[in-house]
Amino acid sequence: MTLANGAWLLLAICLPAAAATVGGDLSDQNGAPVVNAVISLRPLSGSPPIAKPPAAVELDQRNREFIPHVLVAPLGAAVNFPNHDHILHHVYSFSPAKRFELKLYKDVTPPPVVFDQAGVAVLGCNIHDWMVAYVYVSDTPYYAQSDASGHWSIAAPAGAYRLNIWHPYLAGAPLAADVVAGDAQAAPLRFSLDLKTRAATGKPPDSLQFGEGYNGEP
Amino acid sequence: MHTWTHGMIAACLCAWSACAGADADGLDWSLRGLLDLRYLDTGGQAAALNGGLGKFRYSGERVLVNQAALVAQARLNWDWSASVTGKYAYAQDNPIDFSEALLQYRPVGDSAWRLSGRFGAFLPPVSLENSGLAWSSPYTLSNSAINSWIGEEVKVFGSELQLNYQFAPGNKIGLFAAGFGNNDTAGVLLAWRGWDLSDYVAGFGDSYQVPKSVNIAGLFPKQAAQTQPFSEVDNQPGYYVGFNIESSQRLKLRGMFYDNRGNPSVSRMGQYSWHTRFGNLGLKLQLPWNFELIGESLLGETQMGAERGGLFAVDTTFWAESLLLSWAYRQHRLSVRYDDFGASGHDYLPQDPTSETGHAVTCNYNFTFAEHHQLNLEFSQIDSQRASRAELGLTPGQNQTLWQIAYRFFF
Repeated sequence: MTLANGAWLLLAICLPAAAATVGGDLSDQNGAPVVNAVISLRPLSGSPPIAKPPAAVELDQRNREFIPHVLVAPLGAAVNFPNHDHILHHVYSFSPAKRFELKLYKDVTPPPVVFDQAGVAVLGCNIHDWMVAYVYVSDTPYYAQSDASGHWSIAAPAGAYRLNIWHPYLAGAPLAADVVAGDAQAAPLRFSLDLKTRAATGKPPDSLQFGEGYNGEP
Repeated sequence: MHTWTHGMIAACLCAWSACAGADADGLDWSLRGLLDLRYLDTGGQAAALNGGLGKFRYSGERVLVNQAALVAQARLNWDWSASVTGKYAYAQDNPIDFSEALLQYRPVGDSAWRLSGRFGAFLPPVSLENSGLAWSSPYTLSNSAINSWIGEEVKVFGSELQLNYQFAPGNKIGLFAAGFGNNDTAGVLLAWRGWDLSDYVAGFGDSYQVPKSVNIAGLFPKQAAQTQPFSEVDNQPGYYVGFNIESSQRLKLRGMFYDNRGNPSVSRMGQYSWHTRFGNLGLKLQLPWNFELIGESLLGETQMGAERGGLFAVDTTFWAESLLLSWAYRQHRLSVRYDDFGASGHDYLPQDPTSETGHAVTCNYNFTFAEHHQLNLEFSQIDSQRASRAELGLTPGQNQTLWQIAYRFFF
């Protein structure tokens, strides 16, 4: 993992506590933009304020796929799992960040699941083995998710931060760097991530030769 | 009394509404299937599944409905599901037969350990190629020598338990074990006919012509002209045990040991009990640039007839290995497989030689479109040496080729 030139050149010009924006672009080892990375900022001194969980967060089951593939939610967020398919799904996670199972009937949304511990929960479906989703539970309110062009941007009070970048296909440990938020005119931060795969996981097979899913073989 | 009756009615209504709810929302079922049409060009030696010593399933046919299969799956509740595969297949004994019928138990726990199971009639987990509907392969039309044999003769009626430790969904290591019956005739074709390349999955009521070449009727008068692959002869259960290591979309390694614990001195209604055991190891690797590699190997032995001075009437060691390389580009797939196989007999009846050696190359190109349709062009060539062909007046060494064009429809 490398830091591109200029990554460290973000300047602090604004007054402390004034709102600032930190942003940039992510690419992989081949220079292609990286979608679905989670970028978060934690103040170097003190702990981040507690974010108010948003009113509604959804992780949808649609066309035998979790949508979105990566969901970022603040600590304490209540996530709904609506089933828009006409078949059953059986969502589960045994990740330490959140262990649960949800039996999803057709068109019935059960009570939301509260993610009360920071970390990453990997979700699967017991009926459709290919279905995978990641819920990144953030204990800082300053986070963003990179878009299809690899772009991200976080609004945070001016100050010095430890920046973390996580991605489900990251080959090594999450990337970390110290940044200073303050200059609205600062050059965008550019990071390169080493990814294990570029193939989108969690997608249903594109041929009906592979049937409905689980065939039961060890 | 009155209150009691009311209570009963209320309880019944509650139970009924709970059932109805489960019916409306809990029961999930699906019906899927495949239709497989072929155009063939083959040399014309007697077909492997019809008493011949040829190495393909066909002998001179041109156009045929190779298979039409239906797979019905029903979710009984959140932990249990049922699955039945019924099919018509070319040259199948009964016009319609079943190839698998099983219950699957697969609960979700909140721990990384998971116990699951399969109960019923199913194929032991040997093949890493046949991951498609009704045991079809996305790579080739003809299965490898190993999986051709598994499809033809190895099917169990039993219970299989799996214990897995999951690191994340799809990443796991595990052990599995099964106890079973109904597979006492596994090995008949392998010993008396040898390996072949086919895509046939035995039906429950199936039977194959026993090879005519080697005077089996004279040596084994109790053996019927047909072997029934799915039968219990000695009432002695068999078992298999194995391990699996899987990293989602990266690799799968699986090994198992199978022993049908057949009592080779027992025969019943024209079927002998063959003592067949084998070990096999398979590795499937996802490589960069959409390449896939599947390697499988199998080594085993089958014995039949009463023991005489440490020897059996039929005692054949068999082995095979295959390496398949496949490259997928969008809807296109190109696969090449090399098969190597052999058998060696060491019994007290030299009149029925069961030894052979051979190797095969299979090349397949397929194009899948609109999820449902698949066109295949496949070429296979098998070079084999089998001494028992001499008894039919054939040269022991044979080189056979098969061209196939297939249209497969999946729904």
